[in-house]
Formats: sequence, structure tokens, C-alpha cells
Amino acid sequence: MESNLLRVDLTTGEIKSEIIGHEVFEKWVGGSGINNWIMWQHFLTHDINCDPRSPDNIFVFGVGPLAGSGAGSGVKGRITFKSPCYDMFGDSAGGGKFPYMVRFSGYEYIAITGKAPKPVYLHICNDEVSLHDASHLWGKDTKETHEILQRDLGDYPSKTHTLSIGQAGENQVGIAGVVSDALRIHARCGGGAVLGSKNLKAIAVQGSGGIKIKRPEGIMKWSDVFRQSLDANEAVYGFKRRGTLGAVEMYQHIGSHFWRNNQGNKFRGEGITSDNWVKRFHKYSEVCSSDCFIACDAKYKIDGTESEAAKKYVGETFRRPEYLTTGSAAGALDVRDWAEVAHWGKITNDYGIDNQDLSCSISFLMEIKQHGLISDDDVANLFGHSQSLEWGNMDDIEALVESIVYQSNPFGKLFGDGPYKGALRYSEMMGQNFMKYAMYGKGGASFTEEMRPFPTWMNNMAVASRGADHLKGLGLIEKFQRRDLSQIYFGGPEAADLEVPTYKGASTAIIENQVALLNSYGVCMFHWMLDPAGYMPESYYGEAYRSITGVEHDSEMLMRDGERICNLEKAFNSRVGMRREHDTVCERWMWEPCPEGKYPGKVAADMFEPVLDEYYQWRGWDVRSGLQTRAKLEELDLGDVADVLEADGALARG
Amino acid sequence: MITVNTEYHSHFKEITGLAGDSFELDEPLVSELAAKITEKYGAKMKALLIDPRTNDLNANGTMYVDSKGKRIFIDDTLEDGETIAFLVGIAGG
Ligand code: SF4
Repeated sequence: MESNLLRVDLTTGEIKSEIIGHEVFEKWVGGSGINNWIMWQHFLTHDINCDPRSPDNIFVFGVGPLAGSGAGSGVKGRITFKSPCYDMFGDSAGGGKFPYMVRFSGYEYIAITGKAPKPVYLHICNDEVSLHDASHLWGKDTKETHEILQRDLGDYPSKTHTLSIGQAGENQVGIAGVVSDALRIHARCGGGAVLGSKNLKAIAVQGSGGIKIKRPEGIMKWSDVFRQSLDANEAVYGFKRRGTLGAVEMYQHIGSHFWRNNQGNKFRGEGITSDNWVKRFHKYSEVCSSDCFIACDAKYKIDGTESEAAKKYVGETFRRPEYLTTGSAAGALDVRDWAEVAHWGKITNDYGIDNQDLSCSISFLMEIKQHGLISDDDVANLFGHSQSLEWGNMDDIEALVESIVYQSNPFGKLFGDGPYKGALRYSEMMGQNFMKYAMYGKGGASFTEEMRPFPTWMNNMAVASRGADHLKGLGLIEKFQRRDLSQIYFGGPEAADLEVPTYKGASTAIIENQVALLNSYGVCMFHWMLDPAGYMPESYYGEAYRSITGVEHDSEMLMRDGERICNLEKAFNSRVGMRREHDTVCERWMWEPCPEGKYPGKVAADMFEPVLDEYYQWRGWDVRSGLQTRAKLEELDLGDVADVLEADGALARG
Repeated sequence: MITVNTEYHSHFKEITGLAGDSFELDEPLVSELAAKITEKYGAKMKALLIDPRTNDLNANGTMYVDSKGKRIFIDDTLEDGETIAFLVGIAGG
């Protein structure tokens, strides 16, 4: 396996191509693993403590070897950078056709550095790569940008696919995302602000080449078995119809939503169910990437008859909301009409902004107003005019979204980096401590699901390398109480038992390694979740990986590769000063009892410390400081990383 | 003989066309409940509810919990009057 890395220095305008040799794949697998390696190398010669919005930051796009190969396992591209909202390691996945079109153009990795003197876009047309003036695109949302580029660049040698920022990225809003083909947002960690700070509005790609596969017969065989396995599970057909919205009813049943800034954990009103969506809003299903055996994507087009609020959005068309779009609108903000929830998903995508941190910034302000901690005058001072802050009122919510996207008033400026920094700044400004109402985990990142009954899930929120998030350690063994999987992984049922801390930190550590592999292969996580054979990505997907790349790593080696990738992300965060005390969660999750649902009364503090200790132990890191040890790093063939950490005073002593 | 109630959500509701059911079981066993449900609702329900590789309840993309929120498995026993919810189990997005 070899790959082409495109390096673009926006300060000088220099564009060059480099080969990523087979030996790099041997160590870093591909996709997110190689992205991490590119960023790590960059910060050996640039100041890792730089302002993430400065030209010193790097923005890497990468796509793993299985993506677009015909394996049918879905496609995810990945962006990697130092996060401007959390000041730590940042990355985010996104699907659609853009990632494999990059492969078809002959590249798999793109590293953007420096800063263009004025707005530009990058055009990759097979091996012709050029920068162009983007002044006509500046100020446009991601949909308009995509449409203009598609129209201007045409359909030869292929249709044009784009990665772009909207107004949030242009204004360097810390929680701005990057959007693939105007439909699928790489939402987390603020990649949009990084591109905005570099004056890079978009990357447009046209590719007509192919993908080299080491053993095509191997991947065809694997792919047949994979398809049969998915086809045999009727739950996959349900997932095609509902996508992640199927989670709405389960979360409502057990109490796992994030209602009104997590004052509760069940939606109110009857409207927001996946059944209602399917009956009234669903228009057609489609595949997001053409290399997926599931096809969970779906479109809606509002005709005004679907619900009361639908009348406001006649003609609006977009993707069916995902669960977290729903959780942020119907949960955090208590929006009760599907048309408004869908509209929330569309505007956050068009502006290019993360709806998790955005909703928790808004719900923070709504809650402190609800409790009478701030007055109407205080609110007016934030907005420059009187502003109602009514839960579920979409007009109010849109006004607050625009404040942040356009940075148009003190509220927008205070909360551009999300609820944690926003609440800190506002507390300081008002001389009052409002932190009790800020909902966040590691890095200040927020996440709109109830966490308190779920110790592994809570541990994910505290340790995820990119800030509070479920998609690094994915605590499914516990949340879905999979004692069958617990048995396979640990030889006993404890990891699936919500009442004990045992194997909760261990689950995070193991699954983080597995997820690092999936992200490095470039596949979609849903296949993994829905396929019984998918739970061991090191062996099952490993077979596909070997056929495509010729990297002959067995399961054990691949698990070590996944562990190595996680350790590099950890090392990045240690270099910027993160220690055990940063692996934590907000006050409400830690101390305030879960108010309702099937597991009332739970608080994170019940099991937080033993689970965190166990996580460090399974990782082979120092339990006291949370730092990595030389012994563990050398075991993973990362002695050079240990040297860097030691020089920075970021390696565990002893 | 015990009575067990069922609640069907999302895809389960679509297949059964019902919000719930009630079953009389000779033995207080999840296996008997699963057999009665698949017998009543046919092949599609069987493909959703049973994993042919393990003959256990299909665990991928599904969730079945008792009234305390505890997941049930094929070899578990049931109490008289218990309600089991059949749910889609997925996360993310
Ligand atoms: S399962 Fe859904 S999100 Fe994943 S690749 Fe397929 S269509 Fe895209």
C-alpha cells in the first residue's frame, strides 16, 4: 500500500505531492491513523501551543483504505487539526461521496497549512491542483457554495464534490464544522474555524481514476459474506427506514434524552417519535456514499401538511435528522414539532456549525433565565435588544443561532467556543458562578444525551481524545447491556451491568482501540453496530483491510495498531498540558441525581473514579497523573513519542 | 401459567401493527415468549427477533428491556405480569 499526500501551503501558494510509503501504513493503518501521524509530524516543527486559529495550525483530510473500495462497508472521511474550541486534539468524521472522490483523484490525504492572503478554494482535478479566488463564495452557506462550485466546475472528468465551510467557519466560530457535499457535516471540534482562519472556503474535487487493491478476489469474497450477514438481520431494514432516529423510542423508554439542558431525560409532547417521522416526513431513502450495503440516509421535502409548524417551511428539503440533531433540538431545547427539528438540522448544516455545542450554549442561557438568575435587562445586554428565551420557541432559537454564527453581539462572542468557555466567560462578566448549568465533559465539549446511569458512556465523556464524545469509546456493551459481548471480551457479565464499575474503564480502552481501527479503515460505524460479526473489527474487517492494502497484520497486531493510534492522540493532548484532572465531566452529571427514567437517582460520582482508574490501568498509563509511561510507549514502538513527551515534561515519571 | 405483556416500538411496531400484546406462558421463560411472538408475527419478526447463529434474541440493532430497564436474554426467566419493551437499539448520528 502506498498513498499520495497533497500538501498545500496557503501562505506561499506552494502545492506539492508526497508519497506515503507502505511502512507508514504498517504502523498507522490509514485514515485517521495516518491523519494523526501527519499532524504529529507537523507539530514537531511548529509550536503545538499555537493559537489554533493561527497559520501554524494544520488541517488534514484523510480517507482510509476500505472507503470506496467496493467493500460495501460505508465511507467516512476524517478531518484532523488542533481544536480551536477545546484547545486540544481535534478530529471529526463525515460521509458522503467527497471522501472517495478524493481517492479517485489520486490522493488520499490533504494537509493544509499557512494562511491565504484572501479567501480561496482548492480545486483538485485528478493530478491538476490549483488555488482560486473565492471572494464570490465568501458569505455563502455550504449549500450555496456547493451548488456554485458544482455549476462552475461542471461534470468532467467527474461530477464535482465539495468540502466547504459556511458563515460560522468564515467568522472563525470555534464550534464551526466542515460540510461534505452540502449534506453531511464534520461537526465536532471546530474544523470550520480552522479553515476560516486559513481563508480556505472549500475544497472541490473531481476524480476519474481508480483505487489500487492488492487482492481484488479477497475483497470480493469478503464483501459477499459481509452483505449476506447484514441481509440476514431484519434490524438492518428497520435502520434503513429510520436511521439513528430509531433510538428516539428507546431513549424515551429508558430515560436517555437530554431534556432542557438535561434537567430531565425524556422528551415532552407526543410528536417526536421515529414513527411520526416515517409516517409524515419520510420521502425516500438513499445511500450516502454508493459504497454501503445499508443505505440509511433519507430525504424529506416539506409540503406544509405534515405538522403545525410545517407550514413555515413549505418547500424545505434536506436529510432526515440524525438522533443527535433530534436530541439537541427536541431534547436540549425542547422543540416539539418534527418540522422545526428538521429545520434545526438544516440550518446548522447550512451555516456549518456543531449542533451539540450550539444547543448546549443556548440551553445554558435558557436555563439560567428560567431560574431567574439573570434579568430581562441582562439578556438585553447580551443581544443589544430585548430577547425572549422561551424553551422550544424556534424563532428565539434561530435568533440565538444567528448571534453565534455571525458573532453579532456579546452572546455570540461569549459562546462561540461552546457552553463551557461561554459559561466561564459569562460568569466572569456577571461576577456570578453559573457553571452548575454548563453541560460538558472533557475539553468543555458537550453532548446531548443523559449520561448519569451509564458509567462507561460517562467515562467516554471524560477521556475521549477529542473532547466529550461517544464515538471514540462507544460504550455499547453497557448502554445496551450486552452481557453476551461482556462474556466474550472479559469472560464475565460485569461490563454490561449498570450497577458495578467493573470493566467499564476497560471497555472504553478496548473499544477505543477498535474504533480507532474502524476510523482508520475509513468505514461507517453503523455496519459494525448492526452486524453480529462486526464486533471484532480487528479480525473481521482486518481480513478486508489485508486484502486491500497487503499490510499482513493479524488481529493481535491490528489491535496494537489501534492502541498505538489512541496513544498518539493522547500524546498530543499531554503535550498541550492535559492531565488526569482534565478527564472529567460537568457538575450536573457528576453530582445532581438523574431525575427520571428507568434509572433515577444515579450520579456520575457513584463510579467515576474507580472507572477512570481502571481505564488508565488498562491503558498502561500512570493512574495518578493520567500520563503515558515510557514502557507502554516503547511496547507500542513509540519510543520517539516518549522522547518528545519527556522533553515537554509530559511523560509519567519513574 | 403466567401472563406477560409486551410493548412494541418503532420497527417492532411496524411489523406487528400494534403498540403491545399480552401472552400467556406455560413456563416463565423468555424463550417461550419469543417463540409465541415469532409464531404470531411470522418470518419477518423471526428475522428481527432471533439470531440464527446463536438462537438467542438478536442483539444487533435491537433492545429488549423489562420494566426495570434491564435487558433480557433468551435464557432469562420472567415474572407474572411483567412488561417487556421491544425497542430499536442504536446510537450515534
Ligand atoms: S449506513 Fe448510512 S451513514 Fe453509513 S455509509 Fe451507509 S448510508 Fe452512509
